[in-house]
Amino acid sequence: MAACEKRRSAPAPAPATGSGLVEPVRAGVGGREPESEAEFLLQAGVTSMVREALLKVLEARPEEPVSFLASYFEKLVLSGPQGGAAGDRHGQQQRLVRALWYVRLAHHSHRTAFNNNVSMAYECLSARGRRKKPGVNGKIYSELLKKICQDGEAPEEVVSSLLRKIQCRDHEAVPFDVFRYGVLSCFVLLEFVAKADTLYDVLDDGSGVADKRVCQAVLGTLEDALGASDFSVPIRYLEAGSKLGPDCLALAMDKALLERKICSSMNREEFLTKATALFIAKVKPID
Amino acid sequence: MAPGPAPCTVRSPVVLQVGDVKTDLARPGVAIIDVALPPAQPLDVRVGEIVFKNSYTAFLTVRVQRRRPCDVGREGARKWVTCLWNHCLMPSPHTETGSQDYFSLFRHQMLCDVDQVTAVRLILRQPSPVWLHFTLEELRLYPKGQQSLQTDFPTWLSHLAPQQQPENLHGGIPDPEKVSTEVQQLWVLTEMIRANQTAARIGRFDVDGCYDINLLSYT
Repeated sequence: MAACEKRRSAPAPAPATGSGLVEPVRAGVGGREPESEAEFLLQAGVTSMVREALLKVLEARPEEPVSFLASYFEKLVLSGPQGGAAGDRHGQQQRLVRALWYVRLAHHSHRTAFNNNVSMAYECLSARGRRKKPGVNGKIYSELLKKICQDGEAPEEVVSSLLRKIQCRDHEAVPFDVFRYGVLSCFVLLEFVAKADTLYDVLDDGSGVADKRVCQAVLGTLEDALGASDFSVPIRYLEAGSKLGPDCLALAMDKALLERKICSSMNREEFLTKATALFIAKVKPID
Repeated sequence: MAPGPAPCTVRSPVVLQVGDVKTDLARPGVAIIDVALPPAQPLDVRVGEIVFKNSYTAFLTVRVQRRRPCDVGREGARKWVTCLWNHCLMPSPHTETGSQDYFSLFRHQMLCDVDQVTAVRLILRQPSPVWLHFTLEELRLYPKGQQSLQTDFPTWLSHLAPQQQPENLHGGIPDPEKVSTEVQQLWVLTEMIRANQTAARIGRFDVDGCYDINLLSYT
């Protein structure tokens, strides 16, 4: 019991900078024991740590909250000292893995949670060292984008064409807004590819191969709707909705099939490339 | 019939108040707006629709001055009839709801015929003391057969013309409902990325990887 009490009153070692652990409040003069359980939790830095973990659960709303929490605390413990390892390759990789974990915590549609996590990732990647000013450079930013895209099922050339637009050069300092836009673009692209893949499944009617004329008609209608959209005029949204309604699409597909062209097919890769080209055209290049 | 609203003169609201207007602190709860229609030949206006923007009026009564065919030439024989009684514009007069909405009153809502109308009187009521002023703005009268927004509807918003109805479509087309659902999701994602565009810049000075020598500093 005495040993337990003795261990309890000993101040916990300060955690690594930027690890997410809150530095505990030191015990009072003479290292006296905390008066209550609450005070002990406060001293150990547990209260704020658990609160933050619960907030992350509420933000992410995972299907498996327990395994999510386990992963969260594991990452918290594993994140080693970052101050000294800023220049170290291993330290950089560790920070990259952690940043990747942060940006994946919440879906991009949960805007507030996603933005919070992106800013945490930015902080995490921000170079800290004796001779380094805080901030994210183009090299680590581009690496993060590549890692995000690698984990998706987007075709290689599609990813390359997006990265060409949003990557930064190794030496460049990346502002937070650019960082956020780049990360968001990657996640939205992955979702776009998944949706386009589902659309191809609908167009091929289970046969595995879709009619080229129908595919072109559908993509043409989408392009037309995207061209009409100008979000300074809300009526354009209604116009796009009308153009992409079942009636208009049915007419477009029917018209395409009635054209006397040689019946040819369009494979999945070609369809995904053409569809994502419409998306990538709307991504603003970094300048 | 000429397109657009009927030509008319909308008079300024006249406030009805018991007691002295200057010394009484009680706010008036009733106002009247008179609309004078120019004499039309051979018949007066047949009102099809009354359009206006509310400005904190809670209830509206509409009275019209009609001329019956037998009364032609007799100025005094024109009758005032109530064609809309205490029509609610603000469900809860003490709160904002409906206070600045646009309203359209159609013929079928009227309690009587609104043909051969020579004048219209709008009686505005606002029982709540919360609002300092109340009136109706952008008041327009449309003759029967006209539609207030007729010219504003683009073709894509109206129903498909009968010859465009997708009835006898080619047998081989995929399910339009499913296709539409998926394509709309692609549209939303693309719009989302466009709406999130950042104004922040890296600040590059090169063009295709090459720098203008004048931009380079030797410091």
